Amino acid sequence: MNDIITTACKFVTSSIGRKILVALTGACLLLFLVGHLAGNMTIYGGCAPCGGKSWIDYYAMGLHSMPSWLLWAIRLGLLAVFAVHVLLALVLKYENYNARTHYQREGTLKATLSSRTMVITGVMILAFLLLHLWQLTINGDPANCYEHVVLGFQNPVCSAAYIVAICCLFMHVRHGVQSVMQTLGLGTRKVRPLYNIVAVLFALVVCGGFISIPLAVLTGILH
Amino acid sequence: MATLNLTLKVWRQENAQAQGRIETYQAKNIPDEASFLEMLDIVNEELVHEGKEPIHFDHDCREGICGMCSLTINGVPHGGKKVTTCQLHMRQFKDGDTIWIEPFRAKAFPLLRDLIVDRSALDKIIAAGGFVDIRTGSAPNANNMPVRKKTADAAFDAAACIGCGACVASCKNSSAMLFTSAKAAHLNLLPQGYPEKNKRVLAMVRQMDALGFGNCTNQYECEAACPKGVSVDNIAKLNRDYMIACASEAVGVFS
Repeated sequence: MNDIITTACKFVTSSIGRKILVALTGACLLLFLVGHLAGNMTIYGGCAPCGGKSWIDYYAMGLHSMPSWLLWAIRLGLLAVFAVHVLLALVLKYENYNARTHYQREGTLKATLSSRTMVITGVMILAFLLLHLWQLTINGDPANCYEHVVLGFQNPVCSAAYIVAICCLFMHVRHGVQSVMQTLGLGTRKVRPLYNIVAVLFALVVCGGFISIPLAVLTGILH
Repeated sequence: MATLNLTLKVWRQENAQAQGRIETYQAKNIPDEASFLEMLDIVNEELVHEGKEPIHFDHDCREGICGMCSLTINGVPHGGKKVTTCQLHMRQFKDGDTIWIEPFRAKAFPLLRDLIVDRSALDKIIAAGGFVDIRTGSAPNANNMPVRKKTADAAFDAAACIGCGACVASCKNSSAMLFTSAKAAHLNLLPQGYPEKNKRVLAMVRQMDALGFGNCTNQYECEAACPKGVSVDNIAKLNRDYMIACASEAVGVFS
């Protein structure tokens, strides 16, 4: 037992161990994004055949009708995953910054812009998440979800904030997806270009889906 | 023979404690077949004639195999042409160019003087586990020891690392993952090194962490800057091997 604890401690304090934790929590968050997007897409479903409410209202009420222990278990689980991801990433970044001596003239060969701005886009996403939770979870009403969303996005400032944040998410996910594969040891020169394509496509689909909602409201498709 | 007139922006620093600065030099009538180091030799000869301190830089074999030469040229270690600085020729530059020359920068590579840094941190990673504990004898006869062709190729490609440190210097995080992973993979893949794989991986990674290198963020600058084309596949392999080694250590598969 002692060996297991000692090794586990060494693992979570080592460079590779922490990177693997960031990658695994990142992968969980990517799956969460897929689920979130699938739920959001019900906003295009229009009105349900009975009751006169929108599909997304039923979806929101369905989520809230879960047993409260399950709802809170999911929420706390997500919070834990998110906290590990953010804290470890910031600690790693701090170490990386301190490991460097800066060049007078910087040169870059192939590091992508998204890979070099992971912390900036990550912090932007964190700030957005707080806004998002405040607006739609804390001040939200599951029974009037559709109306709440449409009213919110009819404010161009609100829509613009969401669109900028989702663009940050695009950049974060675009590097994140292929980085997860490499950190988990699944990268080889044969599949790495494929991971890059998958990363861009994944980011396009997910972020395109999210952005489509404020755009649809602004252009009057959803009203 | 074409000649070049260049402006050099060179990092000068008397010793580790001194405040460093960029100084400007004119390199006149540089033959385009000169190597980058020969160009610096020509500049240094002039400096010596003028009674000034020549520019200090590391070099040894000058044929691209020893890993001693360094120099970050225009922000890229070895100039980014997939060769070492000694094999970089002045025909890669144009007349009138301004060239920035800085040392290989990383906290783990303390600067000694001008363009010379102490890269012995890499030796410490090797000393932690980059070897085989027993005598393996001289090179075995071909096919005496069965090794898959693909495995042999991968080990050979990893073994091409000359330990110059360009991976660390090019990394936005000053991570030594490409070096460590190449040295570990080279031995882990072959029958002589395989029995000590877990022990080696743990020792080398822990030493790498202890020396103050940064953490890899999968930007692959190292691979692009490597004069020997060492692949980041080795980094993925090290991540894999590290997980296996930790699991083995935790459950006591080896002690």
